[in-house]
Amino acid sequence: MARIAFAWEMGGEYGHVMSCAALAAGLAAHGHRIAFMFRELRQLSVVPEARDYDVFQAPRCAREGVGADVPAGYVDIMSGCGYSDPRELTGLLGGWRSLMSRWQPDMVVVDFAPTALLAAHSLGLPRVTYGNGFFVPPRSTPLPPFRFDAPIDVGRLARTEQAVLANTNAALVALGAKPLLRLAELFDADEHFICTFPELDHYGNRETSGYWGPRVRFDRGTDVPWPEGTGKKIFVYVKTNLPLLDPLLDHLASTEHRIVAYIPGLDEARRRRFASRKRVVCDRPVRLERFLRDCDLLVSHGGEISTGALMYGVPSLVFPTHYEQYATARRLEQLNVGVWLGPGATADLLPRAFAGVLDPRRVDIARTYARRYAAFSPMEQRRRIVARIEELIQGRGAILSPTSSQGTP
Amino acid sequence: MARVLFAWELGGDLGHARRVFEVARGLRRLGHETAFAFQDLLALGALGASAEWFQAPLIASPATAPTRPPLSHSEILVYRGYGDALSVAGNTRGWLGLFSLWKADALVADYAPGALIAARAARLPHVSIGSGFSTPPPRDPMPALRSWAAIEETALRRADATLLAGVRGGLERVNASAALPANASDVFRVEHNVLCTWPEIDPFGARADAEYVGPQDDPSTGAEAHWRASARPRVFAYVKAHDPRLPPMLDAIARLPGEAIVVALGLAPAQAAARSTPTMQVHSQPVALGPLLADCDLCISHGGPGTVAHALNAGVALALVPQHLEQVLVARQVVSTGAAVMWAPETPPAELPRWIAEAAANESIRKAAAGSTLRGRKSHDAAARVAAMLGA
Repeated sequence: MARIAFAWEMGGEYGHVMSCAALAAGLAAHGHRIAFMFRELRQLSVVPEARDYDVFQAPRCAREGVGADVPAGYVDIMSGCGYSDPRELTGLLGGWRSLMSRWQPDMVVVDFAPTALLAAHSLGLPRVTYGNGFFVPPRSTPLPPFRFDAPIDVGRLARTEQAVLANTNAALVALGAKPLLRLAELFDADEHFICTFPELDHYGNRETSGYWGPRVRFDRGTDVPWPEGTGKKIFVYVKTNLPLLDPLLDHLASTEHRIVAYIPGLDEARRRRFASRKRVVCDRPVRLERFLRDCDLLVSHGGEISTGALMYGVPSLVFPTHYEQYATARRLEQLNVGVWLGPGATADLLPRAFAGVLDPRRVDIARTYARRYAAFSPMEQRRRIVARIEELIQGRGAILSPTSSQGTP
Repeated sequence: MARVLFAWELGGDLGHARRVFEVARGLRRLGHETAFAFQDLLALGALGASAEWFQAPLIASPATAPTRPPLSHSEILVYRGYGDALSVAGNTRGWLGLFSLWKADALVADYAPGALIAARAARLPHVSIGSGFSTPPPRDPMPALRSWAAIEETALRRADATLLAGVRGGLERVNASAALPANASDVFRVEHNVLCTWPEIDPFGARADAEYVGPQDDPSTGAEAHWRASARPRVFAYVKAHDPRLPPMLDAIARLPGEAIVVALGLAPAQAAARSTPTMQVHSQPVALGPLLADCDLCISHGGPGTVAHALNAGVALALVPQHLEQVLVARQVVSTGAAVMWAPETPPAELPRWIAEAAANESIRKAAAGSTLRGRKSHDAAARVAAMLGA
């Protein structure tokens, strides 16, 4: 039995908690003890199995995002989350080190949590990263930018990296730890579970032991049948703060499509206006495992649900709300399996967006993509990651490939 | 020897961290071990490798932002997310996790309602420290923050009910074995309440169920500043640079007869130098208050309890320019003793020069301050009292 800590420091929504919980369940089933060191603790309510785990608040920068611009690279995100001030960073790093020194993990599983990685590095703890590709940059010097839709001021990015490295080292030294030579060292780990495929990697291809496929958990929620009749089958999963929510619902209501919508917190008036024989509004998450096999289009904010849906050959219409979702949306667009509308988009763009994303050629490409990774299974992915983590804890050298069918213990 | 965890969750500025560090130092001197759990880790970053600290469990604010200031202490907590059972459940689990991880024997809370909720659930001995505002007297319903404004009791009861539902629901979800709060006021009930202030300037007035130990910072420490001449009146001002009233205030103080020393915290040093005149020194960093107040005629301040206590201790009258409610409540107490005047927030800033000049010449507040009951009163050692209460 080993002690395994999960760390989540940055980013929002439920994806981090759900993905970590799914992997933790696999590890807990093998008798390992689990700790969640999480940015948000309210979300534990969606993963009741965490009742048996130790739970801690992850250190979090109190001035997060103050003065931050649209990020062009990982160092910009770090700058906005405490790395622009050596004292603040010392506070954050000290908080992580205390948690880890006291809880004494045999392995730290790092979701989107660079400071947890830094703490584990400084304490010499075994660690792996577990994310969708956005959470860990390729380890080059300087770190590569991820922004590819606008010109990048490489000099500015290099200066930011120098400042971030200097502050990181100041924090390490203040806490009696050894400084880094290069910022990329912060991202050294015993394994990187890059949970996407190269076509969707926010950074493009990278040097890695393999891509493990998207982190999705579609085996939870309520089974919902598609409405009877003809028309495309569209699953809508958006939030009520989507600026185009009303035009979106009105547009869908004007079509013959069959809709299943999960819009948490949708008010009764909108629900009554929208719902019909062909349009079902659910008040609980939908179990997507079988449901997506029959789906023609996913409408969402993007991120891991859209890359997950692509594994079923489902194209996406994406309304990204933050940069990571936007970067994923751009990848889907490049692959010709998605269309996206930014926060400033106007309602008149909706009909064309739907026509474009439902174009049979796009659907074909999405199905081809899914066939390319036909062997991918979220459960098998998690089983292999669990096995690999156990190998690392036991200090065994065998490399378990994420994609081959060989080498499974 | 006990292991004492210090928690701070709400309230800005460095006052909470400073007080906590002071009391923790005292407890360590008595042989106890300490660690810190703060909502904001910035102040801890300065402690370096010698201290141990954690992130205090955070609570998500409600999705819809409030449209008006909070009516009561219950509503302050509701605005911070304590009306939501799932948030309270997550927060409480975080605190319980920390208590057991660090093997805390006791908790000292400085405006840390979540830590107190968890400490009651875990039956962990606990003491509250603060300057009064964070531990309002428990009443049913929890009273209006602005006692002078007309507020319907039903609105107060509504806020209480929301808070109570959130806290009870949260505790039920984490299977807390201890008794659930029966009323919103139970959320504010503390076993031991050590107030690092004095009854005369307690924002809620003197109370019997608390122990007053006085401010814990030493006003004689800090950078030195000196009166340069013997001209009167001598005016000392201790204000925040980000206050929009600072420029007219500086103009007004510069025009006073006599001499002035202004600490404008957060002002760029170059700007402080530029604003200084032969009769007005402007500093951007804190200075030792004690030596200046010992021979001073008026103290201009926002109404922070520490500065107010030190001024009255030296018998110096106050002109108070509050920035937030806690300071308004403190200011009202001092005004009622006759030793201060308070700037009415709705007055146009153009009136500031006249108001400051009048305050500097106001014999009545000077006389009341000279006779203040706080004059010369010595603070008690909060750490010793905390240790005694915890039986440690």
